[in-house]
Amino acid sequence: MSIQSIPYCPPTIGLRPGSSLLDALKLMLEKHINHLPLCDDTGKFAGIVSTQTILSELIPVSARVEHGLSDLKFVGDATRLLSSRLHDLEHRSVGEFANKNVPVLEEDCPILEAALLLSQSTSPLPVIGKDGKLRGMLSRRIVLTYLMQQAGF
Amino acid sequence: MHGAASSATQVFLGLSPLAVSLAVFILTYAAIVTEKINRSIVALLGAGLMIFSGVLQQSEAVAGIDFNTISLLTGMMVLVAITQKSGVFQYVAIVVAKWVKADPWGLLVMLSVITAVFSALLDNVTTVLLIVPVALLITDSLRISPYPYLFSIIFASNIGGTATLIGDPPNIMIGSAVGLTFTDFVVNLAPIAAIIFALTLIPIYLIWGRKMRAAPEDRAQVMAFNAKAAITDPLLLKQSLTVIGVVIAGFVMAHHIGQQPGTIAMFGAAFLLLLRVLGKNSEEQSHETHRTWGEVEWVTIFFFVGLFVVVAGVEKAGALDLLAGKLLELTGGDFPTTAITILWASAIFSAVVDNIPFVATMIPVIQKMEPVFGAEQLRTLWWSLALGACLGGNGSLVGASANLVVAGFAERAGQPIRFLPFALLAFPLMLASVAVSSVYLYLRYL
Repeated sequence: MSIQSIPYCPPTIGLRPGSSLLDALKLMLEKHINHLPLCDDTGKFAGIVSTQTILSELIPVSARVEHGLSDLKFVGDATRLLSSRLHDLEHRSVGEFANKNVPVLEEDCPILEAALLLSQSTSPLPVIGKDGKLRGMLSRRIVLTYLMQQAGF
Repeated sequence: MHGAASSATQVFLGLSPLAVSLAVFILTYAAIVTEKINRSIVALLGAGLMIFSGVLQQSEAVAGIDFNTISLLTGMMVLVAITQKSGVFQYVAIVVAKWVKADPWGLLVMLSVITAVFSALLDNVTTVLLIVPVALLITDSLRISPYPYLFSIIFASNIGGTATLIGDPPNIMIGSAVGLTFTDFVVNLAPIAAIIFALTLIPIYLIWGRKMRAAPEDRAQVMAFNAKAAITDPLLLKQSLTVIGVVIAGFVMAHHIGQQPGTIAMFGAAFLLLLRVLGKNSEEQSHETHRTWGEVEWVTIFFFVGLFVVVAGVEKAGALDLLAGKLLELTGGDFPTTAITILWASAIFSAVVDNIPFVATMIPVIQKMEPVFGAEQLRTLWWSLALGACLGGNGSLVGASANLVVAGFAERAGQPIRFLPFALLAFPLMLASVAVSSVYLYLRYL
């Protein structure tokens, strides 16, 4: 049994890598989602952008990198700092922040393999056709919903 | 097969060991300078070539690695990895930042001062590992370029490290080889280190300092930092400062108790690790220990390992002996000329190649001069070597390990320090500091 039997989320919301980062963020906030897949002009998968990546981009780099500061409690109120950094992101494109290293699921991926990869991932995973084009996104919720139905709950 | 392998002079294609070793040495350094490939990979490839080409046997390569330095660096990195979680270093940096009201130039001076002081008491690598992240956070908050700060921190760490026995690896090596004490170093080197530190701030002010501006609201952000909140774990603070205090006391007394700093640092690291895992189950212990080891700057450590082997190759092939011979020939046995020549030669060499293997080579060379100059005058030559080797480290990015650590962090933080732009300013500044040292040596000893 492959994941083709699961009604996964088709990429109704897929962005081009050149789209604006802030537009992507607005879209995610509006739709109550944390991840957006990116596709190039031919529909090929081009990475995932997430609210986590955007939030981490607002953190001063000295706390983000290896051997950096591990605690920022002493900074006090940094609302102004964080919101001013949000302004810095205004003209950046979503492609610059895309994570291209997410595991991808082939269309004919067995359900157990997909469940394993999803159990290890913090984001939904892209389902990719043989032609490299994005078919949709598979999330933990979709798999669990499907399994609950199959189990008769 | 075995006969060929054990013959010391059997080198690839029958070429002379000197030519082969120099070729590998130059290739390695050229590759490091171009920065196309990670320096630890380059150094280890160079080390491998030294062995495969027959210049060195593996046992000689291993013997060329200064494990006292490697253990000292690794041990201190472990101590830092644990101690920095307590937040004490952020605390000090924030306190000084607020003293100067987050004024960019005042901040640069104060961060340089604490870097110099910590570098004199801890090793330079440790110090810059602690100061650079805070400095970057502050420059980030002030929305100003971190480059002048990183540059000054490199200079302050090498100048501060010059001041004491434990401040810089060349001093550690000289001290343990010759039997000079902690006090000897402070009395003879700390005054000149302080003078050079103050003088170095002048060009930094003229180039960057006078143009530094930060918006009042950005300064307010830094003024809003709460230094006390930086101390995250009071128990850890007590444990780690106690262990570091004992380790530093151990460095001070190393000579009296007949131990090497590498052993003391590693033992301190293992002991602090023990304190951190006591009472934890095996899974938590494993997690804590893995995390701590994971924070060691392995790129730096393996760069050192590879570089030591590459330098052992040229050393064995006689390239460094040729240099030493030329040096003695040049000075013609005149004492002041010898002292000043050692100072300048050490500085220039230390800027281009690693000062640790260089100092290791110079120590026996200088010891051989005792019949010529006598034990008392020989001490002056040790100060020449220490000043040259430590200050020379400022001449280029590969001049000292602290420079590489700052560069490594800066690169990860997206603020890379490039080799040539750094050297264009750092090399002349380094030469100026050596000129000041020449005057000091001349007035005080010659």
